[in-house]
Amino acid sequence: MRLKIGICALLSCTVLSGCLNNRYITPVTSFQTSTTQTISVISTFYSSRNSYEAQLYLADIANDPSLSVATKDAAGHPTPLMQSTFSPASIKARLDALSVVSVYATRLYDLSNTTAPADFATASTALGTNLSSLNTTFTSLSGGGDPTANSYIGPITSVIGTIGKMYLNGKRDALVKTAIQEGGPQVNVILSLIKTDMDNIFSKEVITGANDQLASDIVAYNKDRVNLTYDQRVARLATIATAASVATSATASVPSQLVSSMISANNALLKSAASTSGKDKQLSLSSLNDALGAWVTQIQTLSTQISPLVK
Amino acid sequence: MATAPIDTVTLTAIINQCFSYATDARFSLADQTTFLIEGKRLRGQLLNLLSAQFDNTTAPFAAATASLTAVNATLSQSATALANTAQTLNSIATLVSNLDKLLAIATSFV
Repeated sequence: MRLKIGICALLSCTVLSGCLNNRYITPVTSFQTSTTQTISVISTFYSSRNSYEAQLYLADIANDPSLSVATKDAAGHPTPLMQSTFSPASIKARLDALSVVSVYATRLYDLSNTTAPADFATASTALGTNLSSLNTTFTSLSGGGDPTANSYIGPITSVIGTIGKMYLNGKRDALVKTAIQEGGPQVNVILSLIKTDMDNIFSKEVITGANDQLASDIVAYNKDRVNLTYDQRVARLATIATAASVATSATASVPSQLVSSMISANNALLKSAASTSGKDKQLSLSSLNDALGAWVTQIQTLSTQISPLVK
Repeated sequence: MATAPIDTVTLTAIINQCFSYATDARFSLADQTTFLIEGKRLRGQLLNLLSAQFDNTTAPFAAATASLTAVNATLSQSATALANTAQTLNSIATLVSNLDKLLAIATSFV
């Protein structure tokens, strides 16, 4: 009888301990998967800004037979065909900042899912030279006139420091909580900066670009319509319908919304890590699952809406 | 020297309004085309202005800011823009010119 009670107690402890230890596995796995998907969508959006401008320039030329293609305009200024509208160095630095968030989510996942954290590589090899030197990149961009670059330096340093600690210490259970509490707020700062960039710079580019395309297509149709056949009119009107749909998506600030839902999920993860009492933990875990679920749904919807803004 | 960006929120609103009037049948086809051309010019300037900083104590900065406010006030009232289309288009052309002068004295770009 004593043996049975002892075994039951041992099993209970093991199960309870397992539950406690694995508290983060499911949400952190979901967080990591959604982070990877979101960053993939946003990275494609960032990377395509210059090609989008070149395509818009060529679409203008196509709509107006009086315009010729040129690499420099009549005033001698480079056209979007040959000159990057946005500095490639600034775009790359923002992609690298997103990589820091991605590495954070991946290492959090590794930490929650492994039984042998001691097997982890060192922090420096895990981060790679590119990310380790990211602060230098932002410092030089800041000196070179990128007005928002300076704001990225502090949070990136902190996140890199947190990721480093995940490797240098070997105590998984406490580390998952500590990593979320230390890295999460800085990840939020980076994501907020990305969102501000989206709202202040890229949404203006995308919204005016989509409205430009729609207006150009409509004005060109109205000028040409009397000389078009029925089939040509149908084809041109289908193009206008697509442009109208893109303009609607652009106005909804879709990329910014995606970053917002990522920030919400990160906040829920932070709240979950900060919870102490049993009831508090249950509530925060429930909120975390809700935030993660909403984020997963948004990724599917928003990535479809973003695709026309990427050329 | 105090540096500041130009108000690109207002400029974006003006550009979008130009494109909206370019597809508004209440304006003549010729005026619609002019709104489209001016909208494109302003958008080209916007892409440079988004990352530019200026000495906000200079006359070109003050002139561009005043133009932005005035044009936005006119464009946001469609009845005013319709009743005074020629004057509205002239004020947009002045804004384009003021922004060109401003871009020439930018202190830094991305």
